[in-house]
Amino acid sequence: MVAPAILYLLALFVVPVGHMLVLSVTEPAVSLANYRRLFTVPLYTHVMLNTFAVSFVVTLACLALGYPLAYVMARRNDWVAAVLLAAVGLSFWTGFIVRTYAWLVILGQKGPLSAFYAFAGLGRPPQILFTTFSSTLGMVHILLPYMVLALYAVMRKIEPSYLRAAESLGARPFAAFRHVFLPLSLPGVVNGCVLVFTICLGFYITPILLGTPRNMMISQLINQQIEDLLAWGFASAIATVLLAITLVLLAIYNRFAGLDRLWG
Amino acid sequence: MPRHFPLVMAVIVAIFLLAPIAIIVPMSFSTAISFEFPPPGYWLGYYARYFHSAAWLNATANSFAIAFGSMNLTMLVAVPAAFGYVRYRFRGKSAMNLIVMLPLIVPGVVSALGYYGLFARMHLVGTHFGMIVAHSVLSIPVVFLVIAASLKGFDRNLERAAYSAGAGPLRTFLWVTLPVLRPGILVGALFAFLHSFNEAVVAIFIAGRDAVTLPKKMFESIRLESDPVLAVVSTLLTGAMLAGVLVSVFIRQRAARAT
Repeated sequence: MVAPAILYLLALFVVPVGHMLVLSVTEPAVSLANYRRLFTVPLYTHVMLNTFAVSFVVTLACLALGYPLAYVMARRNDWVAAVLLAAVGLSFWTGFIVRTYAWLVILGQKGPLSAFYAFAGLGRPPQILFTTFSSTLGMVHILLPYMVLALYAVMRKIEPSYLRAAESLGARPFAAFRHVFLPLSLPGVVNGCVLVFTICLGFYITPILLGTPRNMMISQLINQQIEDLLAWGFASAIATVLLAITLVLLAIYNRFAGLDRLWG
Repeated sequence: MPRHFPLVMAVIVAIFLLAPIAIIVPMSFSTAISFEFPPPGYWLGYYARYFHSAAWLNATANSFAIAFGSMNLTMLVAVPAAFGYVRYRFRGKSAMNLIVMLPLIVPGVVSALGYYGLFARMHLVGTHFGMIVAHSVLSIPVVFLVIAASLKGFDRNLERAAYSAGAGPLRTFLWVTLPVLRPGILVGALFAFLHSFNEAVVAIFIAGRDAVTLPKKMFESIRLESDPVLAVVSTLLTGAMLAGVLVSVFIRQRAARAT
């Protein structure tokens, strides 16, 4: 029963990705030149470092925004929690393109931001669209539901009686949170951060539509190499490095937590 | 720390999540010719334009056809795999699990480039077939997880009862196992459909001109012309997603009540 799935995935997933790995060392000639170029040209090393920096910021922002939301969803058992969960679910299922488009409208020259600036008599707003900031903002908005759901999955299983026990022993609510709830929620924090960070490393749509070519992320570079230059070998080499980084991160996670829990 | 601090924060974050999506709805009724908010006036003109645009309707039809095809293919592969995985012991089980999860592990842009390279060689770029295959592969992990979860919660005593009452394996499967698992299978199928319907990265690389889907058409439209019909399409898509999610919640609740 398992065999068809394995064969299907080997033939139609492992083969295409493997083909790409081969291209990275055979196009345009059999050599490691693509990789040498990627690791020695300052522009490209900058792109890689920039991708890490942006992903790091996005992950932290998602954690800071997502934690209180997941906390309230997990601790309450009423209509408020249901409404918040519905809000997270709806934004989770709204496509990346639709949400990216929404930010284009909001931050655009004739958008609500400009209207607000005009209304407040502040003149023209600063150029936000097509900067690293706008693409970071868009990615935080898009990846936040992943973070919240990862946190919520763990927080929901924390027994409320533990907190009540701490409080009945004299702990103030915040102390009970800090010494009981927070440590128990850490696995969710790790899951959410790994999930958001790895998705962000290879994020394609939002950096291309909201970001700037002057401060590229890895996926923008891949897009540029394929779309403008048809540099198959080099694009494949970049994608291979992206894949390798992602696999290393997930392997480390797997070593400590077990990969199954990431999506559980 | 004030007592209501977490709640206030949570509400603000929820508004941050929803407000940008909500803004799209009034935009779709706007008379503005480019992205403008608040709208200078309201009409239904861009809805009419969407419903008269061969390009947008074609992309919509492609999206439905590809999502439907890939959903069926995914279910055909993922449901037996989940059964085998949950119910039997075999060598290489964890390796099998890893292979099934691979499409979720590999970054989307990497998969997309892989498909683009191989499909370009096989003349499958810009075909429905290529899109259906790629989308079905990418939605296998999620469907596998959903079905495996519902299988793990299945009480096998129900099957034993059927056997002891004289039912054969096929009858037991059709009359006992399948009805109990139906909600999980329906939710899995819905996820597969929505996944394909929303998928943009692989589509941008391999859909070409003939198999263009809504997300790819939107991506191109945003980059090239900023067509105001975009707001209409976004509103319709969000509405469709909302309907889909409500259906899945409904299926789950009915299942929860039944057991």
